[in-house]
Amino acid sequence: MNARRWGGSNVVTQTLAQIGACGLFLLTLLAAVPRSFQYFRETSRQLWFVGAMSLTIIMVCGLFVGMVLMLQLYHVLSIFGGTSASGMVVALSVYRELGPVVTALLFAGRAGTAITAEIGLMRATDQIAAMEMMAVDPIAYVATPRFLAGVVAMPLLCCVFCAMAVFGGHLVGVTWLGIDNGTFWSNMTAQVDLRTDIINGVLLKSLAFGAVVTLIAVYQGFATAATSEGVAHATTRTVVASSIAILALDFVLTAFLM
Amino acid sequence: MTEPVSTPPADDTLVRIRGLTTVLGGRAVFDGLDMDIPRGRITAIMGASGTGKTTLLKHITGHMRADAGQILLDGENVAELPREQLYELREGIGYLFQNSALLTDYDVFENVAFPLRRHTRLPEVLIRNVVLMKLQAVGLRGAARLMPSELSGGMARRVALARAIVFDPMLILYDEPFVGLDPVALNQILLLIATLNRTLGITSVLVAHELSAVREIADHVQLLANGKVVAQGDPKTIADDGSPWTRQFFGGEADGPVPFQYPAVDFATELGFAGARP
Repeated sequence: MNARRWGGSNVVTQTLAQIGACGLFLLTLLAAVPRSFQYFRETSRQLWFVGAMSLTIIMVCGLFVGMVLMLQLYHVLSIFGGTSASGMVVALSVYRELGPVVTALLFAGRAGTAITAEIGLMRATDQIAAMEMMAVDPIAYVATPRFLAGVVAMPLLCCVFCAMAVFGGHLVGVTWLGIDNGTFWSNMTAQVDLRTDIINGVLLKSLAFGAVVTLIAVYQGFATAATSEGVAHATTRTVVASSIAILALDFVLTAFLM
Repeated sequence: MTEPVSTPPADDTLVRIRGLTTVLGGRAVFDGLDMDIPRGRITAIMGASGTGKTTLLKHITGHMRADAGQILLDGENVAELPREQLYELREGIGYLFQNSALLTDYDVFENVAFPLRRHTRLPEVLIRNVVLMKLQAVGLRGAARLMPSELSGGMARRVALARAIVFDPMLILYDEPFVGLDPVALNQILLLIATLNRTLGITSVLVAHELSAVREIADHVQLLANGKVVAQGDPKTIADDGSPWTRQFFGGEADGPVPFQYPAVDFATELGFAGARP
């Protein structure tokens, strides 16, 4: 599990070793899924923690992203006399890219770091070892419920983010800048495609991002050195690795799904 | 005390360790260690820091694999057990961590109930009764709804002890249970260990540095050094057995068979004066 034992001084080798160890950890995690069903209460507790507790930041950020996007688009599109399309462009930008990516980045910062720090501290204070001594599998009890909760919560949070962003765009475009309400909605509904934009854009991407961010967060928690310094480094690594993974995966998914 | 009526077990040794060898970071922590831990007794394992006492406990529970050798726990070879059987075996073992290792998300009651909820389908009322009985035994029934952060070090260790005995295990491993305790808390833990051993007949393995505490409750002491048992015997007399190991450890001598200096290259060589030597 610990990639450090590969011991290469080369950054590339170390990164590859980390990715490999993370992949092996994913297999362990998936193998523990049937065993973790008995801990359904723990999974729902984690769903509350990573999902419901992240709602505020997701809603507020979604609102402002939609508002600023509409503001920028309105001024650019007004040059060409195309302000009536701004609602549609806001919706497409949010559904296809900004919604899943920004939600995942916020999720990594809010829930991912919390997961890593919590598991890291559990390791540092022997709570994980105590579970093993009590014949409770920590992968099935600690890791898998958090992973499943992250995978389930991300698409839901992404939907909330997108809804708030469209609402923010409507607020600025219709209420403040005077775009016609009917034009705003009709252009949007005419251009937004259920499969390309909602299923592929919002749901599929956010599902993939949720899995990747939570996997990285849980893995870093388990692989951390059991010291306060180790937990701090692991938390930082979660944010850095998740951010890179989200943006790289976004490019790959967009290329395949378009 | 009256002898039990039931048939005594065929083997009086609960844990049998043979030829245990463990190398960590290039250093041999155990070098062919042999040890027997008798049933129903309190065995104290003592030794200087870094001699592998905690590592030995982790080997006994199968938490850590040795490089060679064998550990038979109640006739089962711990290292060869598959995960399910190892977990089954661990249900019969209580482990008291040095830092108590209470689950910080749960209150005292839920910490003690944790193994019961994970491994049984007992009705809630029965779980409640068992947990309250265990908490009553360690004197903390009134603290059932406190969070671990609200407990003193001694109280946390008593809660951890209640959790360790919740399944009435055949073996309890105590990893330095007296560290950082005031005299009152230390005596409470001492009393609990002795009472549990006497009333339930639980085999106890005690890793500790405090000879005075060990003398009060232990039946047998094993002194670890250099990866082996270098001395063993009655806790009241072991300090006087005349061996250089016991003289250094129990006499608190800074230098002896366990050297004061950590192994290093010659000091003069490291300072660059080696050439000046005759």
